Amino acid sequence: MLFLQLLINGIQAGALYALIAVGFSLIFGTTRIFHFAHGATFTIAAYVFYHLYAVAHLHWSIAVLASAMAAVLFGLALNRWVYIPIQKHEGSFFTVFVAAFGVSILVENLCGMVFGRSYVSVDTTLSRSVEIAHGLYVSPLSGVAIVIALLFFGGLQVFLMRTHTGMALRALSDNPELVRAYGLSPRRLSMSVFALGSLLAVPAAILSAMGSGLQPSLGEHVMLISLAASIVGGIGSLRGAACAGLVLGLAENLALAYFQPQWSEAVTFIVLFLSIIVRPSGFFGRVIAS
Amino acid sequence: MLAYLLNLATLVCINAVLAITLNFIMGYAGIFSLAHAVFFGVGAYTAAWFAMHVSASIFLAIPAAMLAAALLSLVLALPALRVRGEYFVAASLGLQVLAVTVFSEWKSFTGGLGGLIGIPPVSLFGHDVTDPVQFLLLALCGLVPVMLITTVLLRTSFGRNLKAIRDSESASYAFGKNVAAIKTLSVAISAALAAIAGALYAFYIGFINVESFMLNTSVLLMAMVIIGGTGTLLGPIVGTLLLMLLPSLFSYMTFLPQTQIGAIQQMAYGLAMVLLMIFRPGGIVGARSRKAV
Amino acid sequence: MFKPLNKILHSSLVACALFAAAPAHAGDITIGADFPMSGPNATYGDIFGAGANLAAEHINADHMLDGKLAIQYEDSQALPQQGLIAMTKLVNVAKAPYVMTAFTGVSKAASTVAARTKTVAVNGGGVGPDLAELGPYFWNVIPLINAEIDTMVPYLVKERNFKRFVLIYVDDPLGQAVAKDMPTILSKVGGKMLDSMSIPVTEQQFSGIAAKVRADNPDVIYIASYGAQELQLIKQLRDNGLTQQIASYSALAIPGTLALPQAKGALYTTQHMDWSSADPVTKRFVDDYSKKYNKQPTAYVANYYNAVRLFALLAQDLEKHKQPITGENLLKARKDLKTFDMVGGKMVFNENGTVTMPIQVNEVEDQASKIVYAGK
Repeated sequence: MLFLQLLINGIQAGALYALIAVGFSLIFGTTRIFHFAHGATFTIAAYVFYHLYAVAHLHWSIAVLASAMAAVLFGLALNRWVYIPIQKHEGSFFTVFVAAFGVSILVENLCGMVFGRSYVSVDTTLSRSVEIAHGLYVSPLSGVAIVIALLFFGGLQVFLMRTHTGMALRALSDNPELVRAYGLSPRRLSMSVFALGSLLAVPAAILSAMGSGLQPSLGEHVMLISLAASIVGGIGSLRGAACAGLVLGLAENLALAYFQPQWSEAVTFIVLFLSIIVRPSGFFGRVIAS
Repeated sequence: MLAYLLNLATLVCINAVLAITLNFIMGYAGIFSLAHAVFFGVGAYTAAWFAMHVSASIFLAIPAAMLAAALLSLVLALPALRVRGEYFVAASLGLQVLAVTVFSEWKSFTGGLGGLIGIPPVSLFGHDVTDPVQFLLLALCGLVPVMLITTVLLRTSFGRNLKAIRDSESASYAFGKNVAAIKTLSVAISAALAAIAGALYAFYIGFINVESFMLNTSVLLMAMVIIGGTGTLLGPIVGTLLLMLLPSLFSYMTFLPQTQIGAIQQMAYGLAMVLLMIFRPGGIVGARSRKAV
Repeated sequence: MFKPLNKILHSSLVACALFAAAPAHAGDITIGADFPMSGPNATYGDIFGAGANLAAEHINADHMLDGKLAIQYEDSQALPQQGLIAMTKLVNVAKAPYVMTAFTGVSKAASTVAARTKTVAVNGGGVGPDLAELGPYFWNVIPLINAEIDTMVPYLVKERNFKRFVLIYVDDPLGQAVAKDMPTILSKVGGKMLDSMSIPVTEQQFSGIAAKVRADNPDVIYIASYGAQELQLIKQLRDNGLTQQIASYSALAIPGTLALPQAKGALYTTQHMDWSSADPVTKRFVDDYSKKYNKQPTAYVANYYNAVRLFALLAQDLEKHKQPITGENLLKARKDLKTFDMVGGKMVFNENGTVTMPIQVNEVEDQASKIVYAGK
């Protein structure tokens, strides 16, 4: 019974991790930009939602919309004014990484100054668990999380497979030079990618605000998970990132059945480390090992 | 005031050793490690344990620390041999987080979350070094050899091999270089020298705990190297000075609201990283474009 | 290549010179505060600072000392290395004879400087037993954890009839002390420790822990964590359907607890602080704080108010006897006077620099907490 509960918990956590990871993997896989500020996008989305819904008491749809707009605008601004100028200088991946890291420090402290530094959460009945069977507790929020995750993935698949922009994005991920030769602008496409990737962080941010609560330093943890999931799943594969996110959520929770709780966080990183040594290309990614 | 400046100077020396050793693998071997604080920690814990249980003599504690770090560095060398770039960063990140868990749980060696307190002062030829001026001299005696060793190594064929690997690994293979051995050796040297900083840190403060060896320390060290300028000899020192003195300078600006000063410091540091990367990615010391040697 | 280096050295030297030459009125005293003002624990710096500042205001309004009392704040970021730099600055530049610290790692690093320079370092937040062993110049104005569980555990077993306990703790000296001592106390009063689980400091997902606790089926869940993690834990335990009584120690005495709906009904110990008390020191503190911040104070605010007040009482005594205010003299004065009138009642110092105060059990209600049991 404990195992089954842990399994359900793992799926709940995994759904959110998958959502976060896919946004990062989309950006990283398509533009090869080590967008370490994805956690900052998450933080901004979460705090905007929290402030408008829980503090200003606006209707949830307004809060969600504002949160999405803030995230997308942030992603676009970052790309336009930080990443693109760096790439013009032929910056290496590490230059981009350092800049992104600087941005995440800026955002973390700004959010702390503006919204306060203590732990806050959005109070809603959706987060209260209901006993669906003897000893098994599930909250409506996790049901919502799983449905939203599936909807977004479905929508993303349709977008990538059926629309022109989507196909251009897939092309960009394969071969940027050829895309330019076809007359498409990689820069304009990268704007679309950042908008989309940042948008993908929003549902997970809102659900986290309701479920586990917020602190300005939340972005770091989110970033580590996205990175781990993207790499374990394979760069360039959204399916891989989603699966890896799910697997990490499951591993974190199921590990509790066998190990002491203080190792549960280490499990994620043991998986990451081993995966890089044994199969660097991840589950579904392209082969990249030397 | 003098004691405060001595304190800052000593910590600058210790951090400079870390920045120089990180630059050794980052700027010259192209191995971008986010796990440098792990070797800092291993050096500190080993020296502390040694001083508390065996001997506080500097000639025994520091070699012990260096040996422990060099052995552990083999764990980091493993992914270094398999992958490059973003993947290696992620692997080193994994190692850093894992190490923090081990530091927190291995209570008999590291004191767990509570850390180790009451580390005896380091003993040089039977004389306990407790005076701040003497300790600064000792720290400089740690910094200068590290600088010399790394500079000399870089001027030899070993250094040229490293740069060759950084610039094009496949070409180096083609030329018959034993890439695996060179990479492993460079990681081991970097870790062993970083352990010297760890040992000095443990003896200086007399108290160490896991909070000094976490991811934020690794990131700070990385920032020192990048902002100063990777692949240059003076870059790490400039970066260390800047990032260590900046918070102190800010604390003198009394016109800023007291409760927000910490946040403003961090924002300045973040902003510096962003602006430098956009306009001067070679760092303060490096050339304008990243084609520097 | 040397230009930026020169510029930096030059400007820092100028800054140092400027501030070393800053004028000070004779008799004015500066004490120090080595608090986290940035980073994930910055919210504590705000809380502690509020209490300390209020005390300084009262002390200056009452002209308790010959000159003006000022508090200099330095940011420790709750990390040992930064805490050490901050401490050194306060001792050597601001020439503070008395420095307040917070967070155990910082306190330990600062204690080495305190011992060497004979500066008094005072803790008003941490309650781990390791804080009693940092030398004669390290004082605690808050009773340590053993006093808290010595009151809480018998109360829960005897007054509330809760006999089965589960402990969730962070594996630091405080958590270890609880894990070691709680089963002993329980067996003495007829309770039982079913399970104890240690969680990593950075853990944020607790549904797995909740599942394990549910399987154990206790009467009480005792939590030995702190800060945001403790609040996240409580929220998730309740969200996962656990209805058992939650109990903890003074770490819950922060505004975040009162703002968390899921924390309602939780019990926690603090030293005895009745906000409605008529005792003049307490009343003035509560009135002025509520007027300024529009809410009730919490224990941590009061602790650092007390820390500053303690300095003023000792300094006042030294000034009366025409003695210079140094760390050594402050220590001597504390040992001579021993008992002080503070917010919450009388504070009695033990030889080892810890205090004995009565402990009370508080219950979290809507946006406030009420006292349910006053210990001896």
